[in-house]
Amino acid sequence: MTKRFRLAAGIAAALLPLPALAAPESYTVDPIHTFPHFAIGHFGMSLIYGRFDKTSGRMTVDIAAKTGSVEITIEAASINTADNERGGRPRSRDEHLRSPDFFNVQEFPRMTFKGSATRWNGDVPATLEGQLTLLGVTRPVTLTVDHWKCGPDPRTGGKGFMCGANASGTIKRSDFGMKTFIPAVSDEVRLMIQMEALRN
Amino acid sequence: MGGFFDHPAVQGGVAPFVVALVIVVLLQRFRLAGLAIAAALATVAYFLNGLTIEPLTVTRKIILLGLAAAAVGFLADALLAPGRALAAALAILGGAGAVWAFWTVLSQKPIAESALLGGGIALFVAAMVATLGELQPQPVRAGGAGLGLGLGTGVAAILGASATYGLYGIALGAGAGAFLLVQMVTGRAIAAGAIFALPAALTAALLAAGAMLLAQLAWYAMALLLLVPAAAFLPLPQKQPIWLQCFVVSLYTFSAAAVASLLAWHYGGRPAG
Repeated sequence: MTKRFRLAAGIAAALLPLPALAAPESYTVDPIHTFPHFAIGHFGMSLIYGRFDKTSGRMTVDIAAKTGSVEITIEAASINTADNERGGRPRSRDEHLRSPDFFNVQEFPRMTFKGSATRWNGDVPATLEGQLTLLGVTRPVTLTVDHWKCGPDPRTGGKGFMCGANASGTIKRSDFGMKTFIPAVSDEVRLMIQMEALRN
Repeated sequence: MGGFFDHPAVQGGVAPFVVALVIVVLLQRFRLAGLAIAAALATVAYFLNGLTIEPLTVTRKIILLGLAAAAVGFLADALLAPGRALAAALAILGGAGAVWAFWTVLSQKPIAESALLGGGIALFVAAMVATLGELQPQPVRAGGAGLGLGLGTGVAAILGASATYGLYGIALGAGAGAFLLVQMVTGRAIAAGAIFALPAALTAALLAAGAMLLAQLAWYAMALLLLVPAAAFLPLPQKQPIWLQCFVVSLYTFSAAAVASLLAWHYGGRPAG
């Protein structure tokens, strides 16, 4: 009887969608599955999409206590809008974006975002509020968490544990001193961040 | 009206030119027409940067140094006798200012690379200050050098992947152009002095160095900009009207600026990626 009860309890626990974690858990951002993307208006004609290829960071989550924090560092020079070949031009778009006109990567090689989950929908964080530092300027930024999931890492046969999220938000680049070509290239920038992090 | 002032041609060209023209016309009798350069720089900085100096980026340091150079030039003209000692002192100050401006970038690099870049930039800036400084007693030549240098730096910076530095350079050219234009129209030479030559040389050199260090301008295209003030030493038809002398010196300096710009275009900058 006791053995059957223990077995039943174990199966019931495994079927629960998200185990109630009793303490904060630390995660390391997975750099090959984490990319901040952005979209920016170009002459009002279309949105140009780009992303940063190199990201690192860490995350702490305590679902029981409904707290969580994230710290992300982005290598500014890793900006990628799929235009890195000059062809016959003196410079490509990605080279231009790395210049003092935009991300000024020689002077400011890194951007950082430090935020915490301030609103939750049940066990799922809904809003991240934090500080983005770009070009030496720090401003508050709010991101909406569009998707969140935690669970066993299937690549490790369930031994590892991971969380993944998608978040989005909007900033004005002029708030950070990036004013080149406004309004031809829009001031408003849409942020779309995909993130996966592995539990330490 | 907001749309008009959003246009780069207005921010970097028309507005600095108009402001500089007013300065030249109003202040020439006080031997302060050389403030045209600082006025043009302040105008374009207002549009591109606003009135803030925080955080103190490389670009903001360049603007501050350019404006400070006008003040130093004013004091030099008012209090000190021109000569080799003063010229050397200003050149050394210019080189030191360059190291200060770019220190946050240089300090992030390995020591050997930092020393080479910093030393090269300091030498380039000092040479530019010294060369243009030699022209300050000759307002037509100084104005022509300022015009060619500003436009040459602007075009080279744009080709080196920085439209912002390009606009600053073009604004310098616009300021010098206003200084030259009044001489052409009135038929009279206007005192240039260090108040003109020092901010023109220092700011142009710092912008070119910035385009090299922070963007994609090749170092040899940057170095060739030294040809521009050098070209202003070429012979002028001294007995001819001022307007013709202004035209001829501008032709010399535009040609020299074109060489640097062509090199920036054909050989591009550092390899992509």
